[in-house]
Amino acid sequence: MTWLIWRQYRASGAITAALLAAFAAAILADGFQIASHWHSILLACAGNSVCLQQEPSPVNGVVSDLPYLSLIVPVVLGILWGAPLVAHEFETRTTDFAWAQTVTRTRWLAVKVGWLLLAGAACGGVIGALTTWWSGPTNAQLASAFDPGQFDTQGIVPIGYAVFAMALGIAAGTLARRTLPAIAVALGGFIALRLVIADLLRPHYLAAVTTYYNVTGSFGPSGQAWVLSQGAVSRTGQVVPEGWGSLYAALPASCRQLLPSGPTAGKSASLSAVFSCMQAHGWRGFVTYQPASRYWPFQGIETGIYVLLAAALIAVTFVIVNRRDA
Amino acid sequence: MNAAIETHELSKRYRRVSALTECTVTVPEGRVSALVGPNGAGKTTLLRLLAGLASPTGGTAYVLGGEPRQDPAFLAEIGFLAQEIPLYRRFTAEDHIRIGAHMNPRWDASLVRTRLAELRIPLDQRVGTLSGGQRAQVALALTLAKRPRVLLLDEPVAALDPLARRNFLATLTSGVADAAGGLTVVLSSHLVTDLERVCDHIVLLAASRVQLCGDIDTLLAEHKILVGPRKDTAPIERTHTVVQTVATARQSTLLVRLNGPVIDPAYQAEDVTLEELVLAYMGADEASAGKRLTTVGEAS
Repeated sequence: MTWLIWRQYRASGAITAALLAAFAAAILADGFQIASHWHSILLACAGNSVCLQQEPSPVNGVVSDLPYLSLIVPVVLGILWGAPLVAHEFETRTTDFAWAQTVTRTRWLAVKVGWLLLAGAACGGVIGALTTWWSGPTNAQLASAFDPGQFDTQGIVPIGYAVFAMALGIAAGTLARRTLPAIAVALGGFIALRLVIADLLRPHYLAAVTTYYNVTGSFGPSGQAWVLSQGAVSRTGQVVPEGWGSLYAALPASCRQLLPSGPTAGKSASLSAVFSCMQAHGWRGFVTYQPASRYWPFQGIETGIYVLLAAALIAVTFVIVNRRDA
Repeated sequence: MNAAIETHELSKRYRRVSALTECTVTVPEGRVSALVGPNGAGKTTLLRLLAGLASPTGGTAYVLGGEPRQDPAFLAEIGFLAQEIPLYRRFTAEDHIRIGAHMNPRWDASLVRTRLAELRIPLDQRVGTLSGGQRAQVALALTLAKRPRVLLLDEPVAALDPLARRNFLATLTSGVADAAGGLTVVLSSHLVTDLERVCDHIVLLAASRVQLCGDIDTLLAEHKILVGPRKDTAPIERTHTVVQTVATARQSTLLVRLNGPVIDPAYQAEDVTLEELVLAYMGADEASAGKRLTTVGEAS
């Protein structure tokens, strides 16, 4: 059985490996350049964290899109390899050949799906590892690894995405029995689900932490925390998000008087008077965030969700392949 | 003699269309059975049910004593070759031989190599670039290399030219001879003349039902063509079954299934050929189907 998989996929596997190698070479070349640039910044700032943050990013503008490419590659591979896995065999009727050998459909599917998911996971893992390494200086400088967009390209989540994309392609192909519609459905379904999970579910994997602080002072969560929202809250519980526009309308009249027609850079004295007035009226500042220590738990939860969804799709595929007439 | 294939009221419906209706057939072990019938009669459905590639919606099928199922012990005994000659078109014959070796416990690779060498079919060429006849030969040789005890072939010669057809049937015949009675074959086709040379058993399907099933020699002996004056056939029908009646102004020709000797001296009995027999049964079905349609039309 394994020899059949090897024969079927050796050509496309070689092409894929070559493309991956080219991608890895680009990331490596770029990453070493960024790293040496970052080291010169580190030496120049000599441990001064304010200096480090004020330095321009060591990442060159053109290649800063590399992490986003790493977001697409495992998914495209997963779907392009996964969708034809069963569908193409139906299209060319080779299921009539394979299923007439002394191998049950369950075993046939298990071997195919097993090797392909393994390849998909490896592909996601390699790309995730490369991107994580490449993002090192940026993570150190901006502490942004937990932010949407960065979180999605680093750590172990790329493995989850790649495995899920492949499982979705396999299941769609098995249901549709046609490769092209399956690719379209899998791609659309994958993008929709990714958006829903990243935007709606991920902020709530663990209950967010909210810290209140004196409005005359300031507060920022330490390290690479993921800030979900911040602003001010009144004594009565009215929440005003960050930004002057909405704050101006919500201010008590007595405090609003202290503001000139609009806040400008030269009026900092009157701004601190406004903050003091707000504090006198019982206003507090707040930051709602996921602490930096939750980065790896969140990576684990997100990867787990995608792997479980992939497992469910593969289970459906097995049921369909065994039940449906060939 | 044991039955290699035995079905009882086997039925298959696809949504509202009935592909096979209450099909009861028996094929004894070691026979080469011709599965004949017009297009759409249910031949492919029956073969796929026997191979375990489809599941019935009614009735039972037993192949070598067990129901077709997803079990290596069953799959090892069955050779199946679908109408489309499914092969991996980008793979060579040699690739297929290696795949077969990895996917089957009994695998006779030398059988394929020898047969394809005899036919001068290259092993190292992509099968997609071979001619239709060569591809069918490769597929049949691969199916035989599995050393099955039941071989199910779905219209494998339909698309072949007469020479390729003869070569294909020669490979099949030598495969049957090699197995020395241990191989039962069901071969579907609508080309009766081809089947007559290799088959000793027949299953005739028409309009999703079995019209005829049995040993060809027995069936030919049981049927006679009666030629006589045109007159009422009721006396004949009392003892015999009239399959088909062709009447001219003065003379009528009856194809009957005998149930004893024909006593009426007005009729002259003649032997029947397989082709006449098959056509008569197919025609009989069309006539009765036509009658049914008329009745339905009148009722509505």
